Amino acid sequence: MRRTLLIDAEKCTGCRLCELVCSFQHYKVFNPRRSRITVIRDEEKGVFIPMTCLQCEDPPCMKTCPTHAIYRDENGAIRIDYEKCIGCKLCIMYCPFGGISIDPVTMKVIKCDLCGGDPECVKYCPKGAIQYVRVDEVGVKKRIEGAKKIHERIKVIMGGES
Amino acid sequence: MYKGYAGRILRVDLTSRSVKVEPLPDGLALNYLGGTGFASRILWDEVNADTDPLSPENVLIIATGPVNGTAFPPSGRYMMASKSPLTGIWSESHVGGHLGPELKYAGYDMIVVKGRSSEPVYLMIDDDRVEVRDAKNIWGKDTRETVKTLWDELGDRSFKIACIGPAGENLVKISSVISEMGRAAARTGIGAVWGSKRLKAITVRGSRDIEVADPDGFMQLVKESIRMCTEEFFGKAAQDTLGKYGTPCLVEMLNSIGRLPTKNHWTGVFDKASLIGGEAIRSRYRFAQAPCMACVIQCGYISYIRHGKYAGTITKGPEYESIFALGSNCLVSDIEAIIHMNMLCNLYGLDTISTGKTLSWAMECYEHGLLTKDDLDGIELRWGDVEAMIKLIEKIARRDGVGDILAEGAKRASEKIGRGTEKYVIHVKGMEVSGQDPRAHKSAGLSLAIAVRGADHLRALSSIEELGFTQIVADRYGEDKADALSDRLSEEYKGFLIKDIEDLYAITDSLIVCKYGTMWPPIYYFDHFAKLIPLLTGMKEYGDVSYVRLVAERISNLRRCFNVREGITRRDENLPKRFTEEPMPHGPAKGHVCNLEPMLREYYQYRRWDYETGLPYRETLEELGLKDVADELEAMGRVKRREG
Repeated sequence: MRRTLLIDAEKCTGCRLCELVCSFQHYKVFNPRRSRITVIRDEEKGVFIPMTCLQCEDPPCMKTCPTHAIYRDENGAIRIDYEKCIGCKLCIMYCPFGGISIDPVTMKVIKCDLCGGDPECVKYCPKGAIQYVRVDEVGVKKRIEGAKKIHERIKVIMGGES
Repeated sequence: MYKGYAGRILRVDLTSRSVKVEPLPDGLALNYLGGTGFASRILWDEVNADTDPLSPENVLIIATGPVNGTAFPPSGRYMMASKSPLTGIWSESHVGGHLGPELKYAGYDMIVVKGRSSEPVYLMIDDDRVEVRDAKNIWGKDTRETVKTLWDELGDRSFKIACIGPAGENLVKISSVISEMGRAAARTGIGAVWGSKRLKAITVRGSRDIEVADPDGFMQLVKESIRMCTEEFFGKAAQDTLGKYGTPCLVEMLNSIGRLPTKNHWTGVFDKASLIGGEAIRSRYRFAQAPCMACVIQCGYISYIRHGKYAGTITKGPEYESIFALGSNCLVSDIEAIIHMNMLCNLYGLDTISTGKTLSWAMECYEHGLLTKDDLDGIELRWGDVEAMIKLIEKIARRDGVGDILAEGAKRASEKIGRGTEKYVIHVKGMEVSGQDPRAHKSAGLSLAIAVRGADHLRALSSIEELGFTQIVADRYGEDKADALSDRLSEEYKGFLIKDIEDLYAITDSLIVCKYGTMWPPIYYFDHFAKLIPLLTGMKEYGDVSYVRLVAERISNLRRCFNVREGITRRDENLPKRFTEEPMPHGPAKGHVCNLEPMLREYYQYRRWDYETGLPYRETLEELGLKDVADELEAMGRVKRREG
């Protein structure tokens, strides 16, 4: 079964370690602007939302690519074939979430490739905000997270440890 | 060129509004590492004893170190340095967040600012595009409105912004620079240096790579370091305290050892500490965790007040030092008021520590009748009176009425007023004392007395005996010294210890790594940096611990020499009488005073400086590669030669 990233924005604290290890994994350098995951941060209110490719089941980027340079690899990652890519950026325009971006150094289109099936951001996230789960378990995992929150509430209401 | 660095220095002359880019000299990296090390060399070379801190000639340094912008934890930091308008001596202030790394991504290790613009300006850095831009529309705005206005103007919220508030503009000598809406580079009045140059803000965005010398080796060490910060003994301790509560966890911890400064440092025990501590904030006001870049300890957090008088208050922190200064120090036990005053200080751009200590000085003077309602624009400044404090915070920021005097900091204000008010100023070298009490933690007295920027908790404060890390003490300094060193109420070996810690932090502040990881918990020591620096930079010399220590000593000495050139002598390395003569009235340290003299003598011996005069020996400076510094000091008659 394919696996995908399950991101819990409520757990993210905006440290951006994911961005650094992503750029390191792909280029052996540190450069958040070359990361395929970006934490959108509201510094004032402390709201942090990690944004990356969600590896859609029916990807608009793939459908819109005029040279058929976008394909799904054996790990389920939507990938770019740079032999075919002409850099038109239509994929960026049609992605509803900003899952694709431009590498400011190479000026090529880049996106999450799930690190070949072993995503670095998942390993490093200090808050466990990014999980790598089976696609068919995404909903169940999310329910478990929801249940944990209710459990916490019950403990508070019942006067147990918070 | 060495790796880890961005490799360039940005020089800005605000008088001519011109900028130029210089390559970072390899020698500067090899001899001074980064951050405070770079600042020590540049300020020695480019400032002199005649430089007025608020003149165009003063130099403002905004610097990073080689580790900033990488994944090494915890390193989301940068620093500023200058000659201080508050003290007239060495000024240095560090701050966390994401701006430091961003400056590296833009391609600059350091910004060196000189001159004075005729009109308010801000510095816009977007990779190679650097512009000095008009700031008339943001001059006068608070630090939050400034950021929001600039974000609108720049059209991208990924710009990292540091700015001054009205306090810095008004040259308030206890003003701060606020980075990213609430992270403060606060001490030594660095905000007034920005104000004097009419520099309202810097905005930074970058897209360049930071390369490291040995990528795989470096990443391996990053992994090991993350484990040390999260899983091993100290890592777990950090998660359970700093991670869970942020620095407010220290309030109750320090109160329990009788070291929570209360009532203008009169005592070290605050009976209402639990009302203003970690749990009090966590249970009701802690709204979000908001760490610095790539940090795994994550002490940063945001408070929000939903209901009541201060409803709508939202602020980074408050941190321990702000809670003590505006709280126990002024006998304020209303945590909502403390959170609110913390926000006000951040919005105006005021140093919470110096502001709190200036107010507590005025409160004590008011109690003793040395200051009256008439002196204070009709304000009755009783202990714990939050309304009065808020009025005065606003007056200080605007230099309005008595605020114009208080804006000078406690020491200068007392000199202006006289009448015996000097007795209640708790300062060293003109800077108000931070949240330690040397009577309950003896080595803290020495570190406050010798610190280069005046009463300072971040240049040489040791936590290893404070909170009982006996095993670390034994590992680092030997079993024979462990018992005496681990006793926080003993003066024995503390001169030796503080010299060692001051050097350790000189490296920490040059790399730049956070104190939470070096001071408390004491995770990293010289050996870890000797592994880190060669993997990061390729400078093999640093692979030898003795070389790391040599550079550390060089930086410590050069910063001290900066102060010697300004006229600082042994006499200035002293403590307020409150710590040396008034016995601690309460708590575990009841009856104790801080016996500074033997510790200071021992410190000078290990520093290899002359105790009688407080001057360096020429031989010491020469051994550290600072012959030119010795020559310049000798011409002023401020260097000693060893007898015989």
